[in-house]
Amino acid sequence: MEKAKVAFFDFASCEGDQLQVINLEEDLLKVVEAVEIVSFREAMKGHSDDYDIAFVEGSVTRRSDEARLKEIRKNAKVLVALGACATLGGVNLLKNFQEAENVRKFVYGDKAFQYETYPARPLKAVVPVDIDIHGCPINRHEFVMVFKSLLLGKKPEIPNYPVCVECKMAESICVFEMGMTCLGPVTRAGCGACCVTEGSYCWGCRGLVDNPNADSQREVLAKYGLGLRDILNKFRLYSGFSEVAQ
Amino acid sequence: MALQIIEKSDLAFFVQNLMDHFQLEGVQSKGQSVYGQAFFYGTIRSPAELCLDFDCTVMPPKKYFLPPQEALFRFQTGPSPACFECRPNKPLVIFGIHPYDLKAISQMDRVFAAGTPDPHYLARREATILIGIDPTHVAPRSFWASMEAAVVSSGFDLMMTDLGANYIVETGSEKGKALLGDYAKVRPATSDEVRQRVSQRSHIADMGQKRGLTFPKREIPILLQHSLTSPLWEENATKCLSCGTCNLVCPTCYCFDVWDDMELNLTQGQRLRRWDGCLLSDFARVATGENFRGTRTSRYRHRFYRKGQYLFFGILDDVACVGCGRCAAFCLPDIADPVEVFNRLKEKLN
Ligand code: SF4
Ligand code: SF4
Ligand code: SF4
Ligand code: SF4
Ligand code: SF4
Repeated sequence: MEKAKVAFFDFASCEGDQLQVINLEEDLLKVVEAVEIVSFREAMKGHSDDYDIAFVEGSVTRRSDEARLKEIRKNAKVLVALGACATLGGVNLLKNFQEAENVRKFVYGDKAFQYETYPARPLKAVVPVDIDIHGCPINRHEFVMVFKSLLLGKKPEIPNYPVCVECKMAESICVFEMGMTCLGPVTRAGCGACCVTEGSYCWGCRGLVDNPNADSQREVLAKYGLGLRDILNKFRLYSGFSEVAQ
Repeated sequence: MALQIIEKSDLAFFVQNLMDHFQLEGVQSKGQSVYGQAFFYGTIRSPAELCLDFDCTVMPPKKYFLPPQEALFRFQTGPSPACFECRPNKPLVIFGIHPYDLKAISQMDRVFAAGTPDPHYLARREATILIGIDPTHVAPRSFWASMEAAVVSSGFDLMMTDLGANYIVETGSEKGKALLGDYAKVRPATSDEVRQRVSQRSHIADMGQKRGLTFPKREIPILLQHSLTSPLWEENATKCLSCGTCNLVCPTCYCFDVWDDMELNLTQGQRLRRWDGCLLSDFARVATGENFRGTRTSRYRHRFYRKGQYLFFGILDDVACVGCGRCAAFCLPDIADPVEVFNRLKEKLN
């Protein structure tokens, strides 16, 4: 059987998700063996437009990005969004809630006029996406799971339950009991509740579950002392593109 | 075997001995939350780590018999397909289980042995020795007394009660008897101490009455029979986050999901199972996409019927809630408390 051809691409991002792929350690060799990688700027030289699966990191932040993304979509049989910037728009979306001119000046100073930019958006706002691998950054094990599912021709099982499930499995103390607040009850699991396990709280980087109870989550956050503005900010950090945060 | 006494000064000797000969699991404090200490079961590495005066642990000891995730078997596909057993049998001693959790374990034993017996659960259970302890403190949301779980007379290998000056120990099995004989310094209890145990236990039952059902527990199945269309289900369920916490922290929730995980060579793999919960939105979704409990209300209501009615007839002859109060304590919108719900249903019916 001919090996599937795989390419990696990035838009506005920190490349942290591709780094997670490179960090696969012993699994990386098996991944590389199972397919033919034709493009992976972060890890190798060379490039080809002949590929079956495209992993795309980053969000779309310029009108000129759209043509490039559409080209990738046209070439790929399967397009996988890699990481929160690609699946949700990610932290890049924060600028959408501020005055565009100010943002440009803040980032580029007196060169602002030289740089093109428009409101950030996830890949799926521009082209159809087949699979989302969520997270900021992605979970390596989930990447391997999706990768194997693609090779087997199976639909990958991306969790549609909230982070609280994995938090309980990891036997963490709920941060609401520690005087903190958390987006875990509405955020899609798959990360093993790593932030809570490491002593922080869930920021919502994997986006919302399919049918989040945002009203109840708001009530809970308010009950634990969060004002409306803080609640919105919490939702907007990662899920600014969804209705809930608008 | 008559009741025995372990002096408090000899407890560390017993614990150390158990650590030397078994994997010893027990209750530890994992830190201070705004409500008090957060207690969890974990491996005991020094006698000082073991806590016996906890009010309730965050997670029940269920994980020792039904781990959050486990391999059921390994397999190989291709021209010479094969299957390899994964049978757990690691011997374990769990030190410090409250009566309500012991009762929950006895219920799970019956469930996992009924119908098609579950070999993984039963093997783990068989390899485990349970040391119970009567509570000295009651967690704020517990209501075990009204679920008839303040005191248990079976379901343990050893059962200890803190008498202040010492622990009085009841033997529940041959394994328990051997444990005492081999690893503890004991003496027979005096008739005074035996009487003290009786009064201590009735004191515990009184402490546990602080909150509870307003009616006898055995009426729950009938109450539910008449409450299918109660507006309470929807009223509460609108606030439900579908987070599954009430399932996952419950000592009598046993549901799991099963799936295959292939290795990167795509020829070998393992069949795994992991905890699931009926409050999660996709719990009743089937392969074609249909979801048999697609609404929050239907899922929310289901749990109370599962606790109060479905297992009552035929399998347990009892309510499958032992009143630990964990679901109540950890449900963020605070809608999961069985006592609240059953009492309100009763009120509405009257
Ligand atoms: S999702 Fe996070 S890790 Fe990935 S590119 Fe965006 S910022 Fe970096
Ligand atoms: S800490 Fe966050 S994710 Fe964990 S149980 Fe609490 S709310 Fe859920
Ligand atoms: S706990 Fe929350 S913020 Fe942390 S990785 Fe998981 S989804 Fe992202
Ligand atoms: S713990 Fe509460 S919010 Fe979460 S699923 Fe149970 S009832 Fe719903
Ligand atoms: S339903 Fe709630 S109170 Fe009853 S046993 Fe389960 S967690 Fe404990």
